Amino acid sequence: MTNFELKELKTLSYQRPEIDKGYANQSLYVNITDPDIAIKPVTEQMKEIFIGGKGFDLWLLWHAVTPRTRWNDPENTICIASGPMGGTPAYPGSGKSIVAAISPTTGSVMDSNVGGYFGPYLKFSGFDALEIQESIKVFASKGLPEDGYALSEVLTNHFAGGKPRGISVVSTGPGAAHTVMGCINFTWYDNKRKRARYKQAGRGGLGTVFADKGIKAIVARWDSVSLDSNKPADKEALRSVGKAYSKEIVALDPKQNQMSKIGTTHLVPIMNDFDLLPTHNFKFGQHKHAGLIGKDVYKDIFDPGFDGCWMGCTVACSHGVKDFVPLTGDYAGKKVFVDGPEYETIAGCGSNLGVFDPYFIVEMNFYCDTYGLDTIAVGTSIAFVMECFEMGLIDTSHTGGLDLNFGNRLGALTLVHQMATGEGFGKIVGQGVRNMKKVFAESYGADPGILQDIGMESKGLEFSEYMTKESLAQQGGYGMALKGPQHDEAWLIFLDMVHNYMPTFEDKAEALHWFPNFRTWFSLCGLCKLPWNDIVPEDNKEEDEPAKVMKHIRWYAEYFSAMTGRKVVPDDLIPMSEAVYNFQRIFNVRMGFGRREHDTIPYRAVGPVTVEEYESRQERYDDQLTDKYSVDIEEKSSEEKVALLRNFREEQYEKLKDAVYQRRGWSNDGVPTVETAKRLRIDFPEVLEVLEVSGR
Amino acid sequence: MISLNDEKIPWQEGMTVADLLSGLNDAHNYAVIRVNGKYVSRPNFDAYKIPDEAEIFLIPMVVGG
Repeated sequence: MTNFELKELKTLSYQRPEIDKGYANQSLYVNITDPDIAIKPVTEQMKEIFIGGKGFDLWLLWHAVTPRTRWNDPENTICIASGPMGGTPAYPGSGKSIVAAISPTTGSVMDSNVGGYFGPYLKFSGFDALEIQESIKVFASKGLPEDGYALSEVLTNHFAGGKPRGISVVSTGPGAAHTVMGCINFTWYDNKRKRARYKQAGRGGLGTVFADKGIKAIVARWDSVSLDSNKPADKEALRSVGKAYSKEIVALDPKQNQMSKIGTTHLVPIMNDFDLLPTHNFKFGQHKHAGLIGKDVYKDIFDPGFDGCWMGCTVACSHGVKDFVPLTGDYAGKKVFVDGPEYETIAGCGSNLGVFDPYFIVEMNFYCDTYGLDTIAVGTSIAFVMECFEMGLIDTSHTGGLDLNFGNRLGALTLVHQMATGEGFGKIVGQGVRNMKKVFAESYGADPGILQDIGMESKGLEFSEYMTKESLAQQGGYGMALKGPQHDEAWLIFLDMVHNYMPTFEDKAEALHWFPNFRTWFSLCGLCKLPWNDIVPEDNKEEDEPAKVMKHIRWYAEYFSAMTGRKVVPDDLIPMSEAVYNFQRIFNVRMGFGRREHDTIPYRAVGPVTVEEYESRQERYDDQLTDKYSVDIEEKSSEEKVALLRNFREEQYEKLKDAVYQRRGWSNDGVPTVETAKRLRIDFPEVLEVLEVSGR
Repeated sequence: MISLNDEKIPWQEGMTVADLLSGLNDAHNYAVIRVNGKYVSRPNFDAYKIPDEAEIFLIPMVVGG
């Protein structure tokens, strides 16, 4: 039993509004310095243009900060919102929350979506969004656990009042305070296992902002949830479309990816087969031992169960490991429950580190969550360190004696534990790849050129875990993503590389317009993307554009109409997203980044940096030089061929930028034009002022 | 006999995944299939021999991530 004290600093009594067509029509503002709590109206204009979720977050954040706001300034604001469909139990994947703030890794706007019950419970409690500003000066709690694992359980039990399923806790852990890659844990209660579990808003260090403000946790409490909780405009239409969708998933998931049994671990062998699984800091895309960390192994390690991170979701992909006993750290020798791992964690903390031990990955997963660390940023950062170590750019005199060759499991875990305490070399690793490049060059004398080539970050955010060398479209999907290289905006590798659906620059530009915008739509509505295209109708191949899974899009349009009463058809969804998408790009410009130069990616994402990489796939690269670029390679050394290929590939990427910017209605410098802002009705005076200053 | 998406079709000695797909008019849609629970990807279609009594599912185009 944990003994702790909670001190009440401020209370606001309010009359909870009835939810109307998916909206509470107000947001909650909390200033934790004064302290102050206030309720703000959600206007019709907000709903019309920004829809909800990430759209509301961005609008609130825009008004909270200035172009000079840094991530650790008091006015930086953590915004959390679900969306009009968030909290619907009848439609799969309808429980997402979206978090936004100014990021410590990029210095600009960051958004991250997450499962768990918080966003829906926040809305049902009367608020479409929550803003938390300022830094706390008086700690209001004493004796609470430091780590996210114990804290989630303790607070769930404390506030449950006999109904733990009605509690969702938002918290982080000690690693968030000592690094710039902190994540935020969002809980839900697992009735079968009688314990709080969590998902992570991982990207961009939002947990670090949370910790910097001295926030221990945010707790939402709600009672029962039903189809009526959102008061949909047309309940029967919603019930009908939700039933059809759920039924289809139950029928097809067992035949397709079996996510209800193995989560996203099926991606490991598939990515490996297509040379897309990052290994050894994205040097290679394949490894002979990849089968040791794929779905065939994890299906036996996962605790069986129908595990959804939101009520009624038939995708149910949130699997975990029961009675896992860590070998290291404070939990060494104790049985714990681990949520995950998912594909990204397996690739980031496994293959990319040259480790093919499934239990090591589970331990990395456990401690990253417990310490409040983003598994993607941790994996990509340690992979970078390991390659620097093997290249001799750093040595044991820099690492505190740690041998950090690829495959060193204990070394990697030691770094994670050091990140939690802000000690040793882990403290430096916890500053992320961009900061490490600076330290290694300026303090350790490493060559900045090679650091830039192999340091897998763009805009300051670490790459998520897909190889992009052979997919120009996915290079753009990462490089031109608004917040940095995260796949939730565009994942085009298979369509581009495997199916060759987009052979021209114009085709790729169209995909890099449509897919990021449609994926944005999910984050406006409080929805998970997985049900859209990870379970595909059997007749999908008959559609004109099978990659878009149009049957599901028609259902989403019906769902939105039934919930909000705003009648839409599939063609209406992209313009809804475009307004928010362009607003976010302009927000980036306002913060001093969001132009062509910021869409640069390291060459490791584009092609082979080293002779070792080139020669490992020599036939492929030689063929490209001769067939595609008409180069006579007879007398050329591997070094010369690496340089030649680089020139061609970098030129292709710049041409892609031209095509994408044009398709998106942006200037050649990557800034939305005034005409685009007007077309999307985001031509607010303060937006036009940004565009005017930026010369558009 | 083997089962392809729950439909029974004849099995032949030495039959590969590529052989199986060559009989379909929409084979280009499939870059991955599942044979007795194991994923087989396009780079291995020519070499992978299907056993008799195999249960096979065609995995739709992978567009996720």
